[in-house]
Amino acid sequence: MSFFGFNTTLPRDQDTGPAGSRGFFENPDPFAEVARASALEDDDAIDFEDTYDGLGDQLNDDQDEFNDDTFGGGDTAPAVGRDFDFFGRTAQVADAIGEEHVRYTLQNPQAAPPAPLHAHVAAHPVAESTKRTGYEKYSDPGYIPDLQAKSSVWGLSQKKPEPSPAPMPAMPMPSRKMMMSLEEVEAQMRNRGQAFGPIPTQSIPQQMPDPSYMRHPQDFPTLPDGFPANIPRNSSEHSLRRVDCPRICRTLLQAFRSCMEARVLCLHLVQNNIPQNLPPQGPRHAGPPPAQRQQQMPPPPSRGPNGGLPVITNPQQLVHLTEEQRNAYLMEDAKRAKRNHKIFLLSRGNGLMTPQDKNFITRIQLQQLVAAAGNVADADPEAVLAEDFYYQVYSQIRGAPRQHPHQPLGHFAQTYLLQTGNRIGGHGNRRAFQGADNHMQRMQQQVQRAVEAAKAKPKNKQLIIEGSLGKISFSNAKAPKPMLNLKRPDSSEGARPKKVQSDLSTSDRKSLLGNIEAVYNALMSMEDMERTMPPPPEEGDTEAIQEHMEWRQQVQTLNQKLWQALKVMEPIVPNATTPHPFIAFLSYPKGKKAIPRIFRHIDQEQRVTILTMIVVHLDSLDVVRLAQHSGPGEAQLSVAVREAIDLFSLAVMPSLLGYVNEAPFNIIIGLLGLVIAQTQVIHVARTKTGLGILTMLLSRAEIVKEAGQASERDWQQWVEKFNVLFDMLEPGLAHIFPGSINSGDDMYVWQFLAAVGIGASPEQQQRLVIAVKDRVMETVGYSKTLPADMSSQRLGNVNLFMRAIGLDVELLG
Amino acid sequence: MLFFSFFKTLTNQTVTIELKNDIRIRGILKSVDQYLNIKLDDVEVLDLDKYPHLSSVKNMFIRGSVVRYVMLPRSEVDVGLLEDATRREAANQAGKAR
Repeated sequence: MSFFGFNTTLPRDQDTGPAGSRGFFENPDPFAEVARASALEDDDAIDFEDTYDGLGDQLNDDQDEFNDDTFGGGDTAPAVGRDFDFFGRTAQVADAIGEEHVRYTLQNPQAAPPAPLHAHVAAHPVAESTKRTGYEKYSDPGYIPDLQAKSSVWGLSQKKPEPSPAPMPAMPMPSRKMMMSLEEVEAQMRNRGQAFGPIPTQSIPQQMPDPSYMRHPQDFPTLPDGFPANIPRNSSEHSLRRVDCPRICRTLLQAFRSCMEARVLCLHLVQNNIPQNLPPQGPRHAGPPPAQRQQQMPPPPSRGPNGGLPVITNPQQLVHLTEEQRNAYLMEDAKRAKRNHKIFLLSRGNGLMTPQDKNFITRIQLQQLVAAAGNVADADPEAVLAEDFYYQVYSQIRGAPRQHPHQPLGHFAQTYLLQTGNRIGGHGNRRAFQGADNHMQRMQQQVQRAVEAAKAKPKNKQLIIEGSLGKISFSNAKAPKPMLNLKRPDSSEGARPKKVQSDLSTSDRKSLLGNIEAVYNALMSMEDMERTMPPPPEEGDTEAIQEHMEWRQQVQTLNQKLWQALKVMEPIVPNATTPHPFIAFLSYPKGKKAIPRIFRHIDQEQRVTILTMIVVHLDSLDVVRLAQHSGPGEAQLSVAVREAIDLFSLAVMPSLLGYVNEAPFNIIIGLLGLVIAQTQVIHVARTKTGLGILTMLLSRAEIVKEAGQASERDWQQWVEKFNVLFDMLEPGLAHIFPGSINSGDDMYVWQFLAAVGIGASPEQQQRLVIAVKDRVMETVGYSKTLPADMSSQRLGNVNLFMRAIGLDVELLG
Repeated sequence: MLFFSFFKTLTNQTVTIELKNDIRIRGILKSVDQYLNIKLDDVEVLDLDKYPHLSSVKNMFIRGSVVRYVMLPRSEVDVGLLEDATRREAANQAGKAR
């Protein structure tokens, strides 16, 4: 039985070979149609020969003999069990399945005797309709009904031409005919043929489709039930086996062809003569043998173990269907065929990778995602700032970030994913879009899960598998596996002694630097706090208010920390050998640079405290103490000191000025009093910094006066102080100019003189002019030797002062 | 990560790199990675007489471990910010070690 099965499958392969396409339906179908049409018209004989004749004869003979020997011949059929008939049983079941399938789809099990005729006639329109749908593969299935109807008829009329199927006991039908011997069958056929003249003619046309069927048998199996056809294609083994089988089969067929040729020729003659008669003959033929038809139906399935079974059963039922139902069925078939083809196209690469390969790739991809995601985990601004502070802030400050300023590397994974999703979405293919979208979502979710897993992982740095003796410790690029595990001394134990030390010597260099660092740390944490400031709470939003309150609380705490780190409130020790900690703090460039930042985070009271501290210690400030120049012609200050002075005027003075410009008048008066009381004004006046501070105070007082904000009493106080100051300054006024006249950097002096001159009484102004007259004249004279722009600048500086006292350089002409 | 972060800000600036074999190369810093591997473009070898084989090299990838010095354009370095970044880095390290 299996042998038959192989034969049937083989021709399929042969056909597919020439077609040269692995696509199931498309290629073979159009050709099949053409071939069939041509066969109907002209050369039916050739097709018929190739496929059926030889095979049928030889197979039948051999099989029958064997059957007789082994099973006791057809007569003893009842005695022989059907256990051996595996194929037949399978075929039966397959038939049943196929039938059930058709029945389910069609819901029309009724068998009408005239139906076959209709089916026969209708077959062509159906095929055409299928062609219109565009699925040519499907046209073959459309023909299947034709074939079957014909084949059923054919089987009835011609037992002889197809003896091979007939004798096969494997055929699903268990009924008595199974065990008929070849001779019996042939005899029956002959009798029938003789009895009914027309029958052979009918049988002939049926044969024509059959050859075509044989030529393109692959169409049938694939179309109705996708299973058998698809499965073999995917695996190379199947195809190999198929290739071998066809060869054998071909040789057999060729051998038979010669034998059958004579008979075929006869048939062809008849057929050619009466092709038109077919329709009318149909009813006649169909009428007599309904039972026989059923019996004969089985033989064709024997040919093709795979696809043959369903094909036959379907057509059988299709025959009885109405046009609509059949169309519906065909449409469904076409759909299935289309789907199968799609699957085939998609499955070209199937089997190239083993599941292990796929898992491997997937793992690599996920690893990469997680690695990228590791950065994603850092993507929250805090972590990014922690890891990449310089770059992030630098990019913000300098602008023109080169790459993605706020997009650390890890973002690329997500960005990429999102972009892909958008791109696919843009396509607009609805189903593909949905699918892709879902896919992307799933991928993202997966990545997120992976990220979370990766985040969670470092928390357990060790894995102790139950029952094992050792530990497995994890490591990654950021937290490498520690080779040494040293326990740090507990911070509380380690830090305390140091603190004690630092308290003991607050002014040695190391502890000073430590203090500065403490200030900076406090500053940075305050700046961090500033960034995390919650939005100002709205009315009634208790939660936000609460949050804000907590935040304020924290800021307050940090402010206190900063304030203590500054050590501004350290007691002032008169005549101390070491400078006050805060002044020492200011003596370092780092400390000077910190002032503007500190001023942003402290309140007015703290600012005035700082200003007071500076004023009180004015002559012990490094920029004052080291910057003394005793008059014109003195050697230049050292580079370091000049840099310190510049830095002070750049960093500290603006902050102080910013405060002084808003300070109430009484504070200005107080500060001036401090200058007079605590410092040696002469020394202070010889420095740029000192003069700057004095200028600041004086000009502020003048502004207050101009604005009329000063009360009479305050102003009196101020004038008193000013007079004292003027008296102290006057002797040194000639020496407050730095360097020689050609050094050029004396603007601040003129500014100071101007500030003094504005506030001075006329009598004081005269004294002032006398004191600096020489310098004024020198500068004016010197400026005449200078290029125009420098000259005007120098004269402008002098003019600052001259105008303050109601004069002008022009007057000196 | 501090140096990585720092060098990232110097991309597209001209830097001079001295390798541990004394070759000094000036070029435009194209990119730097976490190992401080460096990509240079428009390369110019300073002592070309001693290294004629490098005369036709226009760009290169330098493994971070062979770099001895990187000479920076001063104007492109924000010292104050770098100080703060250093403080943060130190704090981070301290935090991690603990």
